[in-house]
Amino acid sequence: MLKRITYLSLAAAGSFFFSSCEKVIDVDIKESPSQLVIEGNIRDGDTDGMIKVTRSVSYTDPNSYPAVTDAEIIVTDKAGFTWHPQQRDVPGEYYFRIEGHPGETYTMNVKVDGKEYIAKSTMPQPVQLDSIGITLLTFGNEERKVVAAYFKDPKGVQNQYRYQLYVNGKLTKRVYANDDRLTDGNDIKEQLFYQDDEDNEEINEGDVVQVQMQCIDRPVFKYWLTLADQSQNGPGGGVTPGNPPSNISGGALGYFSAHTLRMESLTVK
Amino acid sequence: MQKRHFYPLLLLLSLFISSAFAQNRYTVSGTIRDAASGETLIGATVRIQGAGGQSAGAANAYGFYSLTNTAGDYTVTVSFTGYQTYTKNITLNGDIKLNIELQGGSELQEVVITATDRKDENVRSPQMGLDKLNMKDLDNIPVIFGEKDVLKTIQLLPGVKSGGEGTTGFFVRGGAADQNLILLDEAVVYNSSHLLGFFSTFNADAIKDVGLYKGGMPAQYGGRLSSVLDVKMQDGNNKEFGVEGGIGLIASRIKVEGPIVKNRGSFMLSARRTYIDLLLQASPDSAIKGNTLNFYDINAKANYKFDDKNTIYLSGYFGRDNIGIKNLFANDWGNTTLTVRLNHVFNNRLFSNTSFIFNKYNYSISLLDEDNNVTATSLIRDFNLKEDLQYFSDKHTVRFGAQATHHRIAPSDITTDGKSSFNPLSIDNRYGLEIAAYISDEWKVTDRLSFLYGLRMSGFSLLGPGTFNTYDADGEVTSSKNYRSGQFVKSYFYPEPRFSASYNLNDENSIKASYNRNTQNIHILTNANTSSPTDQYVMSSNNIKPEIADQVAAGYFKNADNNTFEFSAELYYKWMQNQIDYKNGAQLIANANVESELLYGKGRAYGLELYAKKTKGRLTGWISYTLSKTERQFDGINNGSYYPARQDRTHDLALVGIFNLNKRWSLSANYIYNTGNAVTYPAGKYNVGGLTTYYYTDRNANRMPHTERLDISATIKAKETKKFKSSWSISIYNALNRKNPYAIQFRDKENDPTRTEAVQIALFGIIPSVTWNFSF
Repeated sequence: MLKRITYLSLAAAGSFFFSSCEKVIDVDIKESPSQLVIEGNIRDGDTDGMIKVTRSVSYTDPNSYPAVTDAEIIVTDKAGFTWHPQQRDVPGEYYFRIEGHPGETYTMNVKVDGKEYIAKSTMPQPVQLDSIGITLLTFGNEERKVVAAYFKDPKGVQNQYRYQLYVNGKLTKRVYANDDRLTDGNDIKEQLFYQDDEDNEEINEGDVVQVQMQCIDRPVFKYWLTLADQSQNGPGGGVTPGNPPSNISGGALGYFSAHTLRMESLTVK
Repeated sequence: MQKRHFYPLLLLLSLFISSAFAQNRYTVSGTIRDAASGETLIGATVRIQGAGGQSAGAANAYGFYSLTNTAGDYTVTVSFTGYQTYTKNITLNGDIKLNIELQGGSELQEVVITATDRKDENVRSPQMGLDKLNMKDLDNIPVIFGEKDVLKTIQLLPGVKSGGEGTTGFFVRGGAADQNLILLDEAVVYNSSHLLGFFSTFNADAIKDVGLYKGGMPAQYGGRLSSVLDVKMQDGNNKEFGVEGGIGLIASRIKVEGPIVKNRGSFMLSARRTYIDLLLQASPDSAIKGNTLNFYDINAKANYKFDDKNTIYLSGYFGRDNIGIKNLFANDWGNTTLTVRLNHVFNNRLFSNTSFIFNKYNYSISLLDEDNNVTATSLIRDFNLKEDLQYFSDKHTVRFGAQATHHRIAPSDITTDGKSSFNPLSIDNRYGLEIAAYISDEWKVTDRLSFLYGLRMSGFSLLGPGTFNTYDADGEVTSSKNYRSGQFVKSYFYPEPRFSASYNLNDENSIKASYNRNTQNIHILTNANTSSPTDQYVMSSNNIKPEIADQVAAGYFKNADNNTFEFSAELYYKWMQNQIDYKNGAQLIANANVESELLYGKGRAYGLELYAKKTKGRLTGWISYTLSKTERQFDGINNGSYYPARQDRTHDLALVGIFNLNKRWSLSANYIYNTGNAVTYPAGKYNVGGLTTYYYTDRNANRMPHTERLDISATIKAKETKKFKSSWSISIYNALNRKNPYAIQFRDKENDPTRTEAVQIALFGIIPSVTWNFSF
């Protein structure tokens, strides 16, 4: 949250100084060898878990990522129950029916080309999302609509949250992650700061917004927090970017997250 | 190893004794001042020539000089840039007290008066890596928004790199921004920037002297790895009252000075405030209304000479920045410094200065939203006691002293009201004690060979009270211990040898070499180029080792055409140990375990600096060029191999020209060109969480496009009356309106989301400005 203030203060200074001007440039980037990308998600309740296995592409390639269709995947819990995710319609997406239990630690084992990639994730206890609302940020007379999530953080436990914001069914291109380091045990109003830019459009009357709130474990939080920091490219170029710390061993990109999921929607008036 | 360092000390001691027994040698000493204002002239060159040959020296930071030679007749010559040379014949048959006042000479006159001039300190002095800024040049060098600025001007010197367009952050010889020791009348200025770096805390009106040491730091300076920026405030006119000021587009300033008691004491008070936000309140653009964005600062100084032997100086600085958006957030920060100094002349050869210094930097940041109401404050505060003695003998100027600094860092205090989602939190204060003792000697071995050598012993102790954790490489606590107040948690001691030598090939050519070691115990945790008001300070501890730098440099210095041209070439190589970075996803603010988030590594930097300067005539200015490389190595970053630091830029070129057209008009221009900063571009991309995510391989392996800029300005003096002078300064920043890269961002293409594109962001286009300056 405090980081956000710095962001806002730069925005304020910017409104005075920066006749900030953008232009698309050519950059000289060499082709990079393709990396394995694993994205594993299990949520609480009786639903589908899904593990997506793809490969990265060179910067210069189109944004289409080759699916890995011959992965052997096993998911286990502490008691030794095992699941064998299988592909359905979409190549590279491996599904399995699972009843996710908060407190349970799940292990994902992915075998591709004889190499093993292993990750563990513990599903935190759920925190209920009470409601969402629209708050107004006032810059002078200009008002900006910002979606806020309201909930009560449980006292005495370390909680980490990740949010995804959908506007009219479309995922906004912003990473939100926060923990209760400074807010333990309180009524939380988490504002999902959002600026209209090339990637995202401003929120208007009549839009349907949805917030999905995940309770995530610490390593997964560090993963999203690193991505959130890097997408915040303020003046000076922001922080030096790097690959977020993955909880998957074996050298794959991505993460394996066992989380609880709560969501709320509303129509902007 | 340790033992060897004591030999120079013994040598120095024996030298004291021997000079005390010298026969029939007398001393001429005194203070050198400006005839019109009574300001002491720091660094003025004094020379006596006659019966016993020649002796030369420079006035110290308080204008005091002392030269000793055998009895007989001598001619005293005093010269200083921008002043008419003073000569006087004296007979040295006893110690002489000679206070000297120099008459200012206009730029045009100066061409004529150079016959006996010897302004060749840069060639003769063993000091290297030192750049002096001429404050008069500052009036003419074009800068953004027309606000003349010390820190932006030093960025035009070789070996000094700007932290980014428009910012006052700077990097010296490959070091980091927090490795510069920035002193204002001896007080440390922790955050030297206003408005997120677009202005510096130094109001040029109040400043007399600026010296930047890039290497070969004399032993009296310590505590930072890369450089010392020693800024000294004006004392104030001790002869008559005066007012001067300026009205600019975004800031105005005023200075008042005058005698307290004529010729014995004076004061100077200078203030500055920006009023962009005041102007913008009236703006019809509603997006800007209701925001706060301003800074102000006040420099004040007073001195009083009790008698020829005792003078007291009081100086202070207070500055504050405010940024805010109505009902949303507020952020303010600033420095406060206070320096009390006592000069005492023990005898005509021994000069003493005792300083007591207080300085602090603090910030406060608030969210004003009802449900998220929170205020976080942070502070770093020092008390510093220093004793510095200078002993002048025939061939030696010995400087020795000691200092002790007590640090307090209050990392974060969070306060909230009852309704807020934030909890109050106070992170334990940390205390540290820094001590140092030093001795150095400037020894004129022969007419041609000089040494400046010394030793600084520096110690740092982290003090209790509190709980201190030790962390392993994964950031896990391995042990934890409680300490009482004042108890030593961890101490470090380092000898820091300093050595420079110069050999004059002839009057106009010299070669120099230097080695120096510096250590640093106060660190800023940052990963960005720009300084932020919320930068986190940490001290060396059981986890953080002191940063150490060793630098060697060699150079060739040449003056030509009666010192009209100065030329220098310096080569340096610097090794840095115990450098600090932090892990990905680190939480730095309000984190009691911040030391668990750190990574430690090393660095190296090397380069070549070329500098050519024309100091006299209607056209003055300089060309500076730097070819350099700076790299870091951290386990866990870039597979443990060396990578370019962010501020690594291969080529840096700056041209500065000031042309005095006639008595009323002067024109100036500067041009800069530099290679882009080292940046990390994505090597590949993938998709997680429904977002295009970039894959990075080598750290800082790419380059931003180069930067190139031309600034021009003109100063027109209005008709002067005896009482009132005024001038207009018109400047155009970025006259070619070039869009220089500030940051590069990557994103999905707007009209073709299956592709990504790189977007260059530029901050400033062409910016004209006008300032009206006056004095009476």
